[in-house]
Amino acid sequence: MSAIDHLSGPADLEEDERQAVETLLYRLADDEFVLAERYTEWQVRSPTLESDLALSNIAQDELGHARLWYDLLEDFGYEEADLIWERDPADFRHATLVELPFEGGDWADAIVRSYLYDEAEHLRLEALEESSYPRIVDRVGKVQAEERYHREHATNWLERLAETDEGRARLQTALDRVFPHALTLFEAVDPDVERRIDEYGIRTRSLEDMGEQWLETVVPFLESLGLEVPLSSDRTVTAEDLPSHVGRDGSHTDDWFDLHDDFTHTYRELGRDSADRIMPDPDDQ
Amino acid sequence: MSEHDRTDPSSEFGSTDQDHDVDVTIDPDADATPCAYTAYVERGEVEGLPATGEHATGLEKDVWDALYAVEDPEMPVSIVDLGLIYKVELEAGEDDQDGTHAQVIMTLTYTGCPARSMLTDEVETAAESPDGIDSASVELVWSPEWSLDMVTDQGKTDLREFGLSV
Repeated sequence: MSAIDHLSGPADLEEDERQAVETLLYRLADDEFVLAERYTEWQVRSPTLESDLALSNIAQDELGHARLWYDLLEDFGYEEADLIWERDPADFRHATLVELPFEGGDWADAIVRSYLYDEAEHLRLEALEESSYPRIVDRVGKVQAEERYHREHATNWLERLAETDEGRARLQTALDRVFPHALTLFEAVDPDVERRIDEYGIRTRSLEDMGEQWLETVVPFLESLGLEVPLSSDRTVTAEDLPSHVGRDGSHTDDWFDLHDDFTHTYRELGRDSADRIMPDPDDQ
Repeated sequence: MSEHDRTDPSSEFGSTDQDHDVDVTIDPDADATPCAYTAYVERGEVEGLPATGEHATGLEKDVWDALYAVEDPEMPVSIVDLGLIYKVELEAGEDDQDGTHAQVIMTLTYTGCPARSMLTDEVETAAESPDGIDSASVELVWSPEWSLDMVTDQGKTDLREFGLSV
């Protein structure tokens, strides 16, 4: 922690402080938004009506959280169109874990992905509870309380799917596929900026720290279900464990550009140059 | 006693699933308990909340009265009784040009609330409706987090009438 105990409001930040806050917010908001986009693909396609409702509801939560974080970026003068509909897809800073399509409607993938993501999400929100940026602190408790159900949902399904050989085999295939991408959750957008995020106390735990704790949580649990985690035996993460695109640094898979094209389709088709609002945004007043 | 002995409810309602080794017994006399997944988390009382404008007078009371008339979009309960309003502040204008401004600080029950803009707009319109108020604005906050403890007694009565177990 640096000498800076408490950052001020959006209007009073120094340029390098503002860049650090913005970077952290893009990490959070983009992850939540893109994951929600993918989850909604399960609507009316989940294996049971109950699971359909549950995952749709989780998607709605993630959109709500994305909105809360994008709101804080709007403090800096951006508008929704700048942040989502008109932003260059190469400027999005989410981890590749959230942009991958669900292979062939693989429910095991949705569950494994949700588990890996939500455990990481829990850790990073904890690291914001005492953030030096008050506008973030104001929102963390609310988000964290809603996230608890996501972890319960994923854990519960993992346990059930792991009860049969076929279910476990499907989980293993999904794990092998998405685990390297889950590691990108802890990758840097820009190492210098990430260091400043820690130094200014905007986040109270470093990415490395959280990554280690995450491994200590997810690896034993997945192993207890009879799954093998695709990681070197000493459980250290090296560049070789990472996929060729990590998302955070702006390198994305082709699937991301297709997804972006999809969800901006209506906006472009209607010839929009700004996001329509029926009513004024309360934060603008 | 009928053929079905009510003292042994399992004979009527229960079964033991041999294949799956799951013992399912339903006691028809047991009190209904709400599903754990729909239970609201109790967070304890927050000082000063719920804010209801109970001791407000004059113009401020008029603003609270107007806010009371705004209902939750899904349930027939006033948003004040639901505990969404945290504070109302009146700021007098500095000269004759600026009238009195009402600032409303509120929260929502859920981050993903699809009625966010609708609700905040209704609140703003209500807050600037009394004679003597010239403008109003709404600030959304997420802390302290809304919980069932924020609902007033009247709100609980309304929610129960609507069919919720609170």
